[in-house]
Amino acid sequence: MASIGNNSLNAKLVLLGDMGAGKSSLVLRFVKGQFLEFQESTIGAAFFSQTLAVNDATVKFEIWDTAGQERYHSLAPMYYRGAAAAIIVYDISSTESFERAKKWVQELQKQGNPNMVTALAGNKADLEDKRKVSTEEAQTYAQENGLFFMETSAKTATNVNEIFYEIARSMLFLGVLVSFTSTPATGLWCNGQSIWKCNRISHKSSKEELRTE
Amino acid sequence: MASDPTSLPSPSDLSIPNPSPTEEERLATLNLEEPTGNHAPIPRPLSNGSSLSADFDTGNEIEVAEEELLGDSTDLAEGSSSHGGGGWREISEQDGEVASCSPSSSGYAGERGSSGASSGIEEVDDGVALQDDWVPGKRHLDEDDASVSWRKRKKHFFILSHSGKPIYSRYGDEHKLAGFSATLQAIISFVENGGDRVKFVRAGKHQVVFLVKGPIYLVCISCTEEPYEALKGQLELIYGQMLLILTKSVNRCFEKNPKFDMSPLLGGTDVVFSSLIRAFSWNPATFLHAYTCLPLAYSTRQAAGAILQDVADSGVLFAILMCKHKVVSLVGAQKASLHPDDMLLLANFILSSESFRTSESFSPICLPKYNPMAFLYAYVHYLDEDTHLTLLTTSSDAFYHLKECRLRIEAVLVKSNVLAEVQRSMLDGGLHVEDLPVDSSRRSRSISPQMTQENNISGSRPPHMALGGPAGLWHFIYRSIYLDQYVSSEFSSPINNSAQQKRLYRAYQKLFASMHDQGTGPHKTQYRRDRDYVLLCWITQDFELYAAFDPLADKVSAIKTCNRVCQWVRDLENEIFLLGASPFSW
Ligand SMILES: Nc1nc2c(ncn2[C@@H]2O[C@H](COP(=O)(O)OP(=O)(O)OP(=O)(O)O)[C@@H](O)[C@H]2O)c(=O)[nH]1
Ligand SMILES: [Mg+2]
Repeated sequence: MASIGNNSLNAKLVLLGDMGAGKSSLVLRFVKGQFLEFQESTIGAAFFSQTLAVNDATVKFEIWDTAGQERYHSLAPMYYRGAAAAIIVYDISSTESFERAKKWVQELQKQGNPNMVTALAGNKADLEDKRKVSTEEAQTYAQENGLFFMETSAKTATNVNEIFYEIARSMLFLGVLVSFTSTPATGLWCNGQSIWKCNRISHKSSKEELRTE
Repeated sequence: MASDPTSLPSPSDLSIPNPSPTEEERLATLNLEEPTGNHAPIPRPLSNGSSLSADFDTGNEIEVAEEELLGDSTDLAEGSSSHGGGGWREISEQDGEVASCSPSSSGYAGERGSSGASSGIEEVDDGVALQDDWVPGKRHLDEDDASVSWRKRKKHFFILSHSGKPIYSRYGDEHKLAGFSATLQAIISFVENGGDRVKFVRAGKHQVVFLVKGPIYLVCISCTEEPYEALKGQLELIYGQMLLILTKSVNRCFEKNPKFDMSPLLGGTDVVFSSLIRAFSWNPATFLHAYTCLPLAYSTRQAAGAILQDVADSGVLFAILMCKHKVVSLVGAQKASLHPDDMLLLANFILSSESFRTSESFSPICLPKYNPMAFLYAYVHYLDEDTHLTLLTTSSDAFYHLKECRLRIEAVLVKSNVLAEVQRSMLDGGLHVEDLPVDSSRRSRSISPQMTQENNISGSRPPHMALGGPAGLWHFIYRSIYLDQYVSSEFSSPINNSAQQKRLYRAYQKLFASMHDQGTGPHKTQYRRDRDYVLLCWITQDFELYAAFDPLADKVSAIKTCNRVCQWVRDLENEIFLLGASPFSW
């Protein structure tokens, strides 16, 4: 147990964001490698799992693809409770979806697990000609809020695997820093034992450090 | 704008009759023909027991005299009963089900002030080519209430709020229909203020049926000639479907803000409603208030039931295993009972939403007959292409437990070959009228191939060659009242396209409505001949039988055939019904 590198990590990951932003499309691209032009609106939440190998560790994601429809908003805590990671998705061709994404960030900051690794995904990056949300604006917002940010396209697969890899690396990196004397974790555990206790670490810096490895 | 009744267009065209039997039923002559020849009626008291068997002595006929005994004293002479106006009601009906709507009708189409040929209501029947080009979701989104094609649609459904805000419309974009909703709302408040709850308006060839549910109004405008009770039942189901998605607590939004716009709350559910509305013309469960099972060997269904019972004992409220819309097995926790309408709405919700097929899911749903105020949580997983398992719980954090349960169930189902049997049954189909045993003393004991290998009639029959069953029997539905289940035969070749099937279901629906008509009291039997069929209906304490024959079928043989059908169903009940641990029997 001395090295997390020999272990597998289970992590609950939740996707949040406006309806139609592309949450299901991102997950299906990541898990099944497919994309549907007419993806149906999600009901409640769909559950997927996918294991990633990162260096000599494996991360098993238990993914909750939540429904963006308004009627499900009040039920979101049921799905993000105990999550170790979140991807908040907006559609770069919709300012409304970006505003909705900011609301999710606020809600997670208030209600979510304080150690959650949170990513902001500007999806549908292939729709450059319809862009309404500039990369700079989103980047700035992400920095101010300690999120890591990527523009993705479920359609072309751009940055889809990357965003999940980044999350996995961040969690492993944080996991290494964590003391083993922790109280039970809320969503990140290692071979059945809690390893999750640390103060909030800037995800941006952890990402940079991982990059320089 | 809305509250002034004088602003309503063509009020003189609106009549508000009582929702009562249709004209031809009231005027119909009761012409009783007694079966002649050596089938003399034998008066015999019917058993009151809950077991079906008492009514099924071999050779026992459906008889006028016997039916009379149900309601009258046992020493009633058989002769008088057969001329007393009870017993068989024979109804001749020349005007077909699909009567075309006259261009002069001035119903809702006229309300926008249009005139001339363009306002004529023509038959635009979307059901005809269902199988081929039905696209899930809302069609004709480009339509609004001013477009001609929208007004030509044969059957409209609307949901609106009491302030006239559109919530749902079958055709067109509900937001573009705001003017029309306001008109409907005006009609409703006009009649409500008059102290009379408006339920039914006839405008030319159109019937307008209203259902008021607190702040939510449901409206159907139809020229399909379906009975009022049937249309009202459909509106009730649409309301139930809405509650399944939102619960009744949505009413609170209207208490806070009467002008609340509810339509965003139903975002993405068009497919659910359109699939339900489509079911009104193919799924008899929508008017029978019963569910149907996939035919399976008794031991196969038992094996599925046992493992479901196992998980129900571990804190699952309901465990439902279905193949498409047919039940394989289901169990409920103690004292919990599942209404067939809730099953219909739940199955429709699951089957119509592509989302459930992608992966396992965990979603809040409400069973309106179980508890309209609260959400349950549904774990839904497709075990294969058609077979889906639903586990319902009251606990919002039970996902991992339910996932565990599913893995256990799946393992058992695979091990005991249930899933393969389910697939095989899907391919074999259910009861074929051609297989009705000719000699009722030589009973066919089983329909599952493994048990009748030497005598597998359905396997040897060339497809699409048969011309119905004996005595011109084309189709039947048998509903067990005690079990809340029905079994329906496969369609035989005289009814081989969806338009014909839809017409037959409409005819059954009408029969059902007239048999259950409160005004004229319950009927026991009915015989009805029209251009398309001979229809026979027989209702006892234990079951209801609806049968359709060739319009030229002989009445006496048709009645004999009905007896044989009942005997057949009785012989096969172990395989076609879910018996025993039914949650409905508490
Ligand atoms: N061009 C383009 N279209 C996309 C992309 N991702 C998703 N879409 C489309 O956007 C629509 C909505 O995508 P979904 O994945 O269903 O969106 P969602 O966030 O899951 O929506 P809800 O389940 O309603 O919350 C679908 O028709 C997708 O095909 C993308 O990267 N590029
Ligand atoms: Mg989705």
